[in-house]
Amino acid sequence: MELLSGSADGTSPPEWLMVELQGEMVSRHDSGLAGNVMGDLLYTKEGTPVLIVGHHILYGKQDVTHVAMETNQQGPTSTSYTVSALITRKLIFKTRPKPIITNVPKKV
Amino acid sequence: MRTLEEVQATLQIAKLKEEDLQKTIHCLSFGENVSSADYCLMELDDTLCKHIQAGQSLVIRGDADERAVLCSGDKTYDLKIADTSNLLLFVPGCRTPDQLTNSQESSHLVHTQIWGFCNSYWELKRQRPRLKKLKAILMENPYEGPALGGQKENTENRYSMQDLLDRIQSSQDELKTHLKTIHACQIDGYWRVLDFDYEMKLLGHVTQLVDSESWSFNKVPLQTSLDELAPLEPKEMIEHCLDCYGKRFTENDNVFYALHEDKVCQSTALLLLQNAVKFNLREFQEVWQQSVPEGMSTRLEQLKSVALVDRASRPETICLLRVEDLSEDTLERFNHLFTIREKWTEEDITPYIQDLCGEKQTTGALLTKYARSSMQNGIKEHKLTRCCPAGCPHGGGLCDIFNMTSTQWQVTTACAG
Repeated sequence: MELLSGSADGTSPPEWLMVELQGEMVSRHDSGLAGNVMGDLLYTKEGTPVLIVGHHILYGKQDVTHVAMETNQQGPTSTSYTVSALITRKLIFKTRPKPIITNVPKKV
Repeated sequence: MRTLEEVQATLQIAKLKEEDLQKTIHCLSFGENVSSADYCLMELDDTLCKHIQAGQSLVIRGDADERAVLCSGDKTYDLKIADTSNLLLFVPGCRTPDQLTNSQESSHLVHTQIWGFCNSYWELKRQRPRLKKLKAILMENPYEGPALGGQKENTENRYSMQDLLDRIQSSQDELKTHLKTIHACQIDGYWRVLDFDYEMKLLGHVTQLVDSESWSFNKVPLQTSLDELAPLEPKEMIEHCLDCYGKRFTENDNVFYALHEDKVCQSTALLLLQNAVKFNLREFQEVWQQSVPEGMSTRLEQLKSVALVDRASRPETICLLRVEDLSEDTLERFNHLFTIREKWTEEDITPYIQDLCGEKQTTGALLTKYARSSMQNGIKEHKLTRCCPAGCPHGGGLCDIFNMTSTQWQVTTACAG
């Protein structure tokens, strides 16, 4: 039997945001993801989320989701987990990333 | 760390105008300890979400050889892992447009960390609890009445509520409801199911008392019953018997029970049917009516889901078939039922598949999925559907190709599931 508890004091776990991307994310020099910058997240005045990752730009939308997350508590022998966070909103980027052209060749 | 100038330069290259954008810009980076191993993602429905928000707990139950289920206080859910090709990132400090105050005059950066990511999550699907095991483990040591004379009572294989919750894949509320259904009671802090013969003995005492006192079945006085029957059986057991077979009510500060004719008749039938494989229907009905307390009427409808009548045989017969003895797995149940009988009418089969229905499922939907119907003599009958062997996900035992031998049957080429 395993226990998933909301929290010790009966309050709601914090709410986190989830960002959903299509495909895989790799670092440029294969140095792993930890510690690296991922990209810039902006919102248009209308509220559309825009993500600039490397030399790509992605447009997304905000969506509702119901998700909870647990982490291990009290070491590997315990069967008790706490819910770290609740996720009720996500930003989903489903459209094809558009390349940002940085070098425009000059007209001869 | 990226600076505002660097970000603004990027915006310019990307041909985004600052005046079209909101002032808060999140600069996302992966945390130092980020990995997918630390977190586990689980999809919740509205009810469970509110449950967690209220700080309440959920329990995962199951033995090593069982599929795990998740339970709230009153519901049971199946757990299934769902893989997605999408990358799911968790960003605790990130705000969505509606959460931004936009009070800032100029653009500013918020350095936000990604704490973790996932490629899969647990999907929860509401399902009926697995309660068949409950009766099975309680039958390891059924209660046969108080120990006689110098005999010592068997104290092995007894289960408290906590023991049951540890073993049975069900929410607590669903478990309690089922305990009542199987006429279990608490004795010395342990939940016990009664040996059937003992249960009938208790019922016999009650009905004989009602008869000898010429009471109405609808008004059996509790206190007098306890007083009169005390020399024969423990008072708690008499009262338990009344709780199982009657409805309690109070009148002028006195407690009475109204006995359920259907329950009494059904149990009496079970007592008769358990002694033979099959009975001649006519003979059975005679004996059955004579066996029930005077004033009660027997009807075959009382035996739905516990006995099967065969009207096709000569003479007509009846035999014991209890739905609680059948498999909990839908496919296995259908397989078994259609082994007992090749064709079923909807009326006959419904009591034996009713409990398999999901939250919004009807027996008709189940029949459509697992069986084929045909008309014979104006009566619609159902046959089990066989699947094509090649690539059928059901596997094991159910894959045969039908040969059409009569116009009534249809060759199935599509998989049932």
